Amino acid sequence: MAEPKLRVLMVSDFFFPNFGGVENHIYYLSQCLLNLGHKVVVMTHAYGNRTGVRYMTGGLKVYYVPWRPFAMQNTFPTVYGTLPIVRTILKRERITVVHGHQAFSTLCHEALMHARTMGYRVVFTDHSLYGFADVGSIHMNKVLQFTLADIDQAICVSHTSKENTVLRSGLAPGKVFMIPNAVDTAMFKPADVRPSSDDVITIVVISRLVYRKGADLLVEVIPEVCRLYPNVRFVVGGDGPKHVRLEEMREKHSLQDRVEMLGAVPHSRVRSVLVTGHIFLNSSLTEAFCIAILEAASCGLLTVSTRVGGVLPDDMVVLAEPDPDDMVRAIEKAISILPSINPEEMHNRMKKLYSWQDVAKRTEIVYDRALKCSNRNLLERLSRFLSCGAWAGKVFCMVMIIDYLLWRLLQFLQPDDDVEEAPDINFCN
Amino acid sequence: MDNNLAGDSPPPRPKWRKVAYGGMQIGYDDNYTDETFLEEMVMNANVVRRDLLKVMKDSVSISQYLCIVALVVLVWFHTLESSLDENSLLLLDLSLLALGFLALLLTEEKMLSLRLLLRYVTNITFFTTGLYVLAPVYQTLTRSISSDSIWAVTVSLLLLHLFLHDYSGSTIGAPGALKSPSLTSCISVNASVVASVFVASRLPSRGHVFAVMLFSLQVFLFAPLVAYCIKKFSFGLHLGFSFALMGLTLYSVYALHRLFFVLFLVLVVVVNVVCPYWLIRMQEYKFEINGPWDEAKLCFDITD
Repeated sequence: MAEPKLRVLMVSDFFFPNFGGVENHIYYLSQCLLNLGHKVVVMTHAYGNRTGVRYMTGGLKVYYVPWRPFAMQNTFPTVYGTLPIVRTILKRERITVVHGHQAFSTLCHEALMHARTMGYRVVFTDHSLYGFADVGSIHMNKVLQFTLADIDQAICVSHTSKENTVLRSGLAPGKVFMIPNAVDTAMFKPADVRPSSDDVITIVVISRLVYRKGADLLVEVIPEVCRLYPNVRFVVGGDGPKHVRLEEMREKHSLQDRVEMLGAVPHSRVRSVLVTGHIFLNSSLTEAFCIAILEAASCGLLTVSTRVGGVLPDDMVVLAEPDPDDMVRAIEKAISILPSINPEEMHNRMKKLYSWQDVAKRTEIVYDRALKCSNRNLLERLSRFLSCGAWAGKVFCMVMIIDYLLWRLLQFLQPDDDVEEAPDINFCN
Repeated sequence: MDNNLAGDSPPPRPKWRKVAYGGMQIGYDDNYTDETFLEEMVMNANVVRRDLLKVMKDSVSISQYLCIVALVVLVWFHTLESSLDENSLLLLDLSLLALGFLALLLTEEKMLSLRLLLRYVTNITFFTTGLYVLAPVYQTLTRSISSDSIWAVTVSLLLLHLFLHDYSGSTIGAPGALKSPSLTSCISVNASVVASVFVASRLPSRGHVFAVMLFSLQVFLFAPLVAYCIKKFSFGLHLGFSFALMGLTLYSVYALHRLFFVLFLVLVVVVNVVCPYWLIRMQEYKFEINGPWDEAKLCFDITD
């Protein structure tokens, strides 16, 4: 049996059975890395009664660490609480690269810190955008600065996200790689028989109905479009606090028969909703990388979207400002170019534009870069933390020194050689 | 890997595009950063440059209210020392009521109708009667508690009151005001009322209790409203009124004790001169970053 090229540990609070962009990203990236001949282990916290070790498709080993989440699927930040188990997993699986995901995952921050203390190479992927003004962001940015102060390489999912991360963490732009998310085009195929757009044009919206996703824009845009085009109907999938406002809008303008509200749509059913439509409408006010657009484009839908530039070529998406008038104009334009859209052709183009295999190959390059970075000793690394701020720098240094001492204590209590190594099982053949 | 390729044989490599699709761009690494990086970042777009004189003028409201509270405390002190008797207190109450009412009338735009006047008179009558009936209760309310605790709690409540007070407006809405007061200003008003009750409970007679309670409530509830109306009516009048109050307070405090006078003077100078200067000095550290990552602002009102 061939020795795996790299042994990667993915760490994040967010993983299946929870569902979202980060979870999806980790899963697909891990699968493709496994196919490339690496060994991948995922570490996350316990979900419900799902604790311990599980195996997923392709021999992806998942450690559900018995720590309970306390808010928004995050584990309670204990700083040092996870050190023993992180150390054991790193030793057991003979990990070479630790890859943390998502800036607000406490487990990720802690694991990366411990991994650095033990001299492992670490890579971090940032999946979201943050502002600089409110108390929450200021705190998060400081934590991020701490974690990234001593990181080997970082990955962001879009160019905007890269700019944002560089500003927030003070990292050198050359250390930050832009590797986008991808879409599993095999799962999002256009319908075999495309619904005819001659008599009725269906516009699909699938998003959580919250302020950030621009549900309030929908309330303004939908009646206006329905007024202008008697042959347009809307299908709205998703649930959230703004559901009531959309229902109100529907009643106020008597659009019950033209605006269909599906409620929450599980991810497995997203494709079946998408293929009933012609145009996909995304009204997000902020988005690091909008996967929903990719899924819609892969299903052959023309997309109308608020400014998430650079995600799709200009002829596959109509962009609009987050302003009702401009969005109505964009929808008008989309309806006018709709006859020239061929879903099958669009799907084939998407296959070339985005694939998880490509993402995995590019991530592999980042891992190689991380491994080539020279390893520094504790003192050199402390000087980096010291430069993080007048007070924060000293606090960060203390945290790192204590972590180092605890690691040495653990080594004394249980020498590295006493940790049993897990055998590599090859599931591919 | 791609660096070598570009270095050895220089093929006309395509221009780098700031897009996410299409995989890795030929000839460029994923960490390639060109000159458009952070191009759309805007710094200090919404920062308002403040003027020292304007800030100093605005801070007069704060010192004005400090003076009002100091005067209330002085009246409490003199009543407790028995240097102010019941009758002069009641006279003070009545004159304050009349003056405040007059100020409201003069600064109000709309004319006062007979019906409104009648309503005010009934309300005031109900209020004073209730207070008079309850005065014996207030007098014996905290008898079992030691005076030291009462003073300590009173001072802390007054500090809380000053800390949470809404200096920009008034908690009691001006007639026709739509804005409902915030939680902090409600807490502030309640703290002042409780402080008055505590002080009143140390007084020797029912008449004293009634007079002091009426006085404190009048000032704490209505002084901000009167001050707000004056400020809205004319800023010059507001400044004049404030300086008159400051002079009166400083004189009264001086008559009481030299040390308090110095402390109060320092406080007023800090509030009116040092703090505004400090604020202006700190402006240069203001650093605001905006860019394409910010959440878009909706250009219409959301009516929930």
